Amino acid sequence: MASHFNRRSVLKGMLGGAAVTVGLPVLDMFLDGNGVAFADGAKLPVRFGTYFWGLGLTDTPTGGTRWVPKTVGPGYEITPELDCLAAVKDKVSVFSGFRVIPDGRANLVHWSGHASILSGIAPASSTRFDGPSFDTRIADAIGGTTRFRVLDIDASVSRRPVSYSTRTGTTFATPEATPLALYTRLFGAGFQDPNSDQWRPDPSIMLRQSVLSAVKDQREALFAGVGKADRIKLDQYFTSLREMENQLAVQLQRPDRCEACVVPAAPKEMPHAASVDVVNSNTRTLAKLLAMGLACNQTRVFNFVHTAGSSETYMAGQSKIYHQITHDEPTDAQLGYQPETSKLAGLVMQGFGGLLAEMEAIREGDGTLLDNMLIMAFSDTGYAKIHSIENIPLLLAGRAGGRHKAGQHVHATGEPVTRVSLTAQQLVGAPVGEFGVGAMKTSNPVREVMA
Amino acid sequence: MKRPPGHLVVVAVASTLVAGPALAGWTRTYVVEWNEPAMYYGAKTGVTAPGTDCPNGTNPEIDWVKVLVEAGYTPEEAKWLRNPANPTRSPVHGQNQMAFRGKDRANVYVNPTSTPDTGLVGVSGTIAEGIDLDGDAKTGFTSPNGEPGIDNVFYKTLGCWKTYRGPPRLSSGALQFNDSMRNGGWTTVIVVAGSGNDPLNDKHVKVGLYASDDKMVKDGNGAIARDYTFRIKPDARYEAIFAARTVNGRILSTASSDVMLRDPSYARDLELLRARVDLRMKEDGTLSGYVGGYRPWQVVYKGWVNARGPVIESLTWVRLPDVYYALRRNADFSPKGAKGEKTHISFALRVDALPAFVATPDASHEVAAVKSYKSVAKAEEPTMAALPFRIIDGIVIDPKSPVQAGPSAVILPPQASAGSTQ
Repeated sequence: MASHFNRRSVLKGMLGGAAVTVGLPVLDMFLDGNGVAFADGAKLPVRFGTYFWGLGLTDTPTGGTRWVPKTVGPGYEITPELDCLAAVKDKVSVFSGFRVIPDGRANLVHWSGHASILSGIAPASSTRFDGPSFDTRIADAIGGTTRFRVLDIDASVSRRPVSYSTRTGTTFATPEATPLALYTRLFGAGFQDPNSDQWRPDPSIMLRQSVLSAVKDQREALFAGVGKADRIKLDQYFTSLREMENQLAVQLQRPDRCEACVVPAAPKEMPHAASVDVVNSNTRTLAKLLAMGLACNQTRVFNFVHTAGSSETYMAGQSKIYHQITHDEPTDAQLGYQPETSKLAGLVMQGFGGLLAEMEAIREGDGTLLDNMLIMAFSDTGYAKIHSIENIPLLLAGRAGGRHKAGQHVHATGEPVTRVSLTAQQLVGAPVGEFGVGAMKTSNPVREVMA
Repeated sequence: MKRPPGHLVVVAVASTLVAGPALAGWTRTYVVEWNEPAMYYGAKTGVTAPGTDCPNGTNPEIDWVKVLVEAGYTPEEAKWLRNPANPTRSPVHGQNQMAFRGKDRANVYVNPTSTPDTGLVGVSGTIAEGIDLDGDAKTGFTSPNGEPGIDNVFYKTLGCWKTYRGPPRLSSGALQFNDSMRNGGWTTVIVVAGSGNDPLNDKHVKVGLYASDDKMVKDGNGAIARDYTFRIKPDARYEAIFAARTVNGRILSTASSDVMLRDPSYARDLELLRARVDLRMKEDGTLSGYVGGYRPWQVVYKGWVNARGPVIESLTWVRLPDVYYALRRNADFSPKGAKGEKTHISFALRVDALPAFVATPDASHEVAAVKSYKSVAKAEEPTMAALPFRIIDGIVIDPKSPVQAGPSAVILPPQASAGSTQ
């Protein structure tokens, strides 16, 4: 039976007196017989994202490391702080030994590292980049046909929203920092009253009624026209979307009264920071929404911040924040590393593992969403105790539609971080031949990982 | 272009230069690739283990809740202040309220005597690195090589503090500041020039330490590369010139000087009175040793305070007022004479330098002699690092924050402190 749905279709409906749209994942019915391209010959889209976490991973001044695999090339072993990659390590390449070359500029702590990775030049000031972040080039190259050219997300629960995406070097993107905000952004279009510039959608209305109920008729029509595999895929997708709505709705409900409970009024100011378990939970929820947004082609480019450069996160119950521990914890003479720092680094990296799991969970064609995307994950520093800008951990996750020969460890002592940045840009098809300035200028991507 | 070790510039070569300064018989030039306070580590492993220097190991972490309670805060307030989840604590800039723990909640960073001296544990060993500054072999430490009379009370005072303790190149302070220097924070070059025929044994030698605006370059392994060229920057502040002699390659001062160097610390200024050098030209072309003298101890203390007192205290496991008391108590030199107030403390900087080309400020030729460039220096520039925030009295004040630290700050939210049931 011929279906009037195609890969560009969205489900439309009315909710609360306003229009809502629900995107669709890539269904088999939209694809060719091999499941690697759309039926009209168009390739499955490749998405790109950056993922940033603060405070690097654990090195020691005597050359020890808790994250750099010993094996170079394919089949690297999982190291303690990269344990989060275990489930998908064949889809993740690890880059070690790369460094920022500041060309005589001072190392601006918790800034020079990622500013150089993103803009290609060590910054002169710790409040700005000296050039645009390269994600904007990618967004211009591959993000123009989607509803959102780019989505910026901050899971850090920091005092101020954190984003390192910039077109000017001086003004940074305003990220969505809560699942509710991201949900509203992704599924709330059409709720805006055209007669009001100020009115904001009430997500509680959406969550109570669900956007799925608003598109009920179209949803049923779609179900009727797809095969068994697509029906399963749609069911998983809609179930997942509803679960997310329910999860968010809980946050809006007034709790039942408990007579024995005397709850002190919380201070009005938001917490400055959140414990790492809260940040990771926030990351996972935001990643789930993001994965839906990507699968439904709402955007092809995103920037995701887990924790800021001067990370404020901490382990629940501890009086010291992670940032402080990286600096004040001595290297254990027997172990050869900072044990508490390493433990926290591993916990922080679980956030990235969670995000990858959400991308991997969505089936797309013969593979998963992760197969059709590339995420460049990086931090601000290498050995955080001294704010080192050498051996900054860099990861490329996802197969980029087959362009990324993933699952390798590339070690290149002293090479500029911009080589990895250039590699990422070229892997997702940005028309970029060289990247960086001065000693970090390069036209030499890491070819080992390029198909 | 490679040079023989030490960049020996002999007269025959240097005389071809045009309009140069008075020429020496030989010149060796270097760039400082590492420098740190000379703090002898008496343990065999790690950076904190007990050793002959500090029998109890590095001074332990401090229970700040206990400190705050002793300062008059209630246990609830102290715990609240130390909980990173609470809004009165700024995890980025430290806990500003930590400053206000003196008498009547005075700021202990600017008024350290408003709180009692709880006693900073110092070095109890007898071995130290450094230089015999007073010429009295009967006073001071013994060097690791057995030479008596080493004057380094700075080490005695602060040598068990975590910031300074550890094997060479491994203490947290040395790592932090040298990483900054090596990444372009500042550059110091050394010129050694003599008038004799044998650089290793010359009675008339001069040693000059100068600033340079040219940054060091790292090789592919991240080490500082040899043989790069650095122009001397005439600097009204950072310059040190010493009269010396060489004995089998060891450079020893023949007279003391009053000098100023760039300090690998938050203090930035390393003023040394009666300064001397004890350096060694090595066969591999490198230079290592000490520059020592008496430095003003209050500058050291203020350097730590201005680096954000609460952050320094938390990160380095020290009460800054104890540092103040210890430096004041142990200071061993007064410029006004034996009866003057001891405003200075004996100190040694351990220096490692690589061979490098050092050129005159206009880059017209390599330096071939040691001389002062202060007379052609531009006006002094501010010495404080350009931080992205303002530090006032040892704390970072965010004027937009609804919660401000201070002597009369309310610590607990009203509901929490009153046990409100609302």
